[in-house]
Amino acid sequence: MKVTFKVYRYNPETDDKPHYEKYELELKDDGVLLDALNQIKWEIDGSLSYRRSCRHGICGSCAVKLNGKNVLACKTSIKEAVEMFGSTLIVEPLTKNKEKVIKDLVIDKKDFWDKNAKVKPYLIAEIDEHPESENLIKPALLELIEEADYCIACGCCYYTCESIRANKDFLGPQALAKTYRFTADVRDQAKKERLELVDKLGIGIWDCVKCQGCIEVCPKGVDPFTKITHLHNQVFEEGVAKRNVATKHAEGFVHSIKKHGILDEGMLVLYSEGANVVRHMPEAISMFMKGKIKLPWQMPKSEGLDEIQKLIEISQTHELKD
Amino acid sequence: MVAVYKSDVVIVGAGLAGLAAARELVKAGKSVTVLTKLHPLRSHSGAAQGGINAALADDDDVELHKFDTVKGSDYLADQDAVELMCEKAPETIRWIERMGAVFSRREDGRIAQRPFGGQSRPRACFAKDRTGLTLLQTMYEQCVREDVLMLDEWYVADVLYEDGKAYGVVAYNLRDLTPAVFNAKAVMFATGGYARAFKVNSNAHANTGDGLSILARRGIPLEDMEFVQFHPTGLAGSGILMSEAARGEGGRLFNSKGERFMEKYAPEKMELAPRDVVSRAIMKEIIEGRGAKEDPFAVYLDLTHLGEKKINERLPELRDLALTFLGRDMVKEPILIAATAHYSMGGIPVDINGHVKKSATELTEGLYAAGECACVSVHGANRLGANSLLEALFYGRWTGQSILNDLDKIELREANAKEAETMLNEVKGLLNSNGEEKVSHIRNELQETMSTKVGVFREEATMLEAKEKLKELRKRYKNIKLDDKGKLYNTDLQEAIELGHMLDYAMFIVEGAINRKESRGAHYREDYPKRDDEQFLKHTFAYLKDDEVEVEYAPVKITKFEPQERKY
Repeated sequence: MKVTFKVYRYNPETDDKPHYEKYELELKDDGVLLDALNQIKWEIDGSLSYRRSCRHGICGSCAVKLNGKNVLACKTSIKEAVEMFGSTLIVEPLTKNKEKVIKDLVIDKKDFWDKNAKVKPYLIAEIDEHPESENLIKPALLELIEEADYCIACGCCYYTCESIRANKDFLGPQALAKTYRFTADVRDQAKKERLELVDKLGIGIWDCVKCQGCIEVCPKGVDPFTKITHLHNQVFEEGVAKRNVATKHAEGFVHSIKKHGILDEGMLVLYSEGANVVRHMPEAISMFMKGKIKLPWQMPKSEGLDEIQKLIEISQTHELKD
Repeated sequence: MVAVYKSDVVIVGAGLAGLAAARELVKAGKSVTVLTKLHPLRSHSGAAQGGINAALADDDDVELHKFDTVKGSDYLADQDAVELMCEKAPETIRWIERMGAVFSRREDGRIAQRPFGGQSRPRACFAKDRTGLTLLQTMYEQCVREDVLMLDEWYVADVLYEDGKAYGVVAYNLRDLTPAVFNAKAVMFATGGYARAFKVNSNAHANTGDGLSILARRGIPLEDMEFVQFHPTGLAGSGILMSEAARGEGGRLFNSKGERFMEKYAPEKMELAPRDVVSRAIMKEIIEGRGAKEDPFAVYLDLTHLGEKKINERLPELRDLALTFLGRDMVKEPILIAATAHYSMGGIPVDINGHVKKSATELTEGLYAAGECACVSVHGANRLGANSLLEALFYGRWTGQSILNDLDKIELREANAKEAETMLNEVKGLLNSNGEEKVSHIRNELQETMSTKVGVFREEATMLEAKEKLKELRKRYKNIKLDDKGKLYNTDLQEAIELGHMLDYAMFIVEGAINRKESRGAHYREDYPKRDDEQFLKHTFAYLKDDEVEVEYAPVKITKFEPQERKY
């Protein structure tokens, strides 16, 4: 199979600016993107730099961008990529932010690791250094952790997250999924502390814009978005949720459903923002004109209705703190 | 100017063993620097799939675990080391569980266990088929919690070692080639395995065995290097691992005639015979022309009878891998597998407290090793599945405690910036070398040679060819040329240094294998098909001297298990 690769090359030592180098390769049908990168490095140009190690999707080293989508190079079939994008494939680092590119496809992930560190990504419990038995945990309790502990910290979700693009303080899908990994673990002793941290506006769960890009790119099926939704529920369940525009927004669901049986976005904004709603009038009018705000009987049924209803039920039984 | 950093202990490698030791030391108030050429979470410990052994079940017994391990080792394991590890196994597993490892559970809440090859009981504790991942993550997380200093993407290229005493390492930052000397009272190597010397292997790109030859170049012997485990079930072509859990959960092997061929080779244990036995059986079928119809270099591993639910519950990662690399869904059809170079039984010789030996009878001071790079030796000639995570975790921690016990008695030998010279010369030499050879070509030829001539089946004549080939490749290595002469993230340079190490330790594998004129565990000689206890119930201790490997032998430590014929 003949494939053309356009690979992002940038060596800050010698290049003024990045450029794309073209490589034409003959590849086996069962090859993955990492094979292609290796072939370029080993046969054509040894100066190409990228990270890689395990080569079977478990270490998280080789995350790169392929035709705009963040992937693990070692898990991405060339054949499937060609079927999707055609025979020219563009390979880039996870971010092209010049300050973060060390060389070629290698980026400095300091911001990613810093956010991960912020959520105290470790079990907080008294550790028995010489235990004679394990914690007894029923399989059902373990299932609560779901896929959250399969996160390999590759950064695919983090560097695709729309919210981070708009708000660099946002913890991001990886750190939030990690938070859930521990709030869902019955052994952890710091659930409230963790939830208080992610309940903060600006950095936490309320700043996810629900684009769901993290679900789409996660190579391990961790689904950080759903973990963030679980955290929404947990802050109410644990009585941690503070009164703010976001939690009021959640409460607004109740009103909306009670009144109409389905969600009414226009009324929801009114409820969440109160008198501040006037700020949104220009957008509201424009949205209405484009048909984005619908009249109640026109509202389509939301795909995530179950989740929404659960959230409403919980928010109803818990008093919000000021 | 080269910076000199000081700490009580410097640990090279941040997999399970290195991190377990680091946490132990930091908790006790010692200053520790952990250096890794990856990021700790990228370590190959995370790739382990199937399980970690401990006699936890009511009907199991630590004594049985010891016996299975010694028998599995074909009686080459040091039995004092095996006994210690097996006795401490239950505590070790429960300790990491208490720190957060997400083990799969039985209905009553206890840790679940599955059968593994060569084990008398279902003894492998597991987390679906991502056991290594949960253990590595847990260990790393608790190191973060304890504020362990972990420097990632630092390449350690040399050790400070003189008169039997180690006092630091020399390394450079992969990001920009900044060199530094890390001076310490104690140095621990936990650098993993060396199966990258083989073409078809299950190992990470990082497993280039650097730690072993760094020490060998300073005169430290390497032990039992000829014992390389070939895992029976690597995916056809890539060699990527299909965990033994696949057979533990009931997977069956078939040849092209539809015969469940293990009936011929291990009628009692069938697919759950030890790895060396199953690997030879598979390769025999292939060599004798009964390989798969689609791929004559593979046989079938059939899991379809397990059903989708069980496969998703117990082996989701494997299903995903077979889909990615073979395009086959194991729920619907058998997958194609063949033996793949997998685990390094040999390595840096250590006593049961992790002290590196400078000869069969003498220890070094301030130098330690644990995990796959070390040879303690609990696996002897053949490792049983799910004993490697146990070794890394237990001996990593134990070696940390051992360093702690020794530290007050060790005096710091001061290091200075000048000691970075050997490394700096190596780097400079490689960057400036202007030959004609490509690193990747020499590496390919090395891997081809090792796979075809020092593989599952071995014999004198071909191994001598391998020895000659290695000489040639070592000569050609002096004539290499790098494309990248820059300072920034120069992986071209890194691969060249790593190849140098591979060429060095490969000599130990070949020389050890040529000299061991018997068949034992993973080392199978067609010209000497029988185990020879009279001559070879002993460990290989080999030294690098003037570009040659000199082989000596040392006795095996036997406590209570008298060697007997090994049948399954």
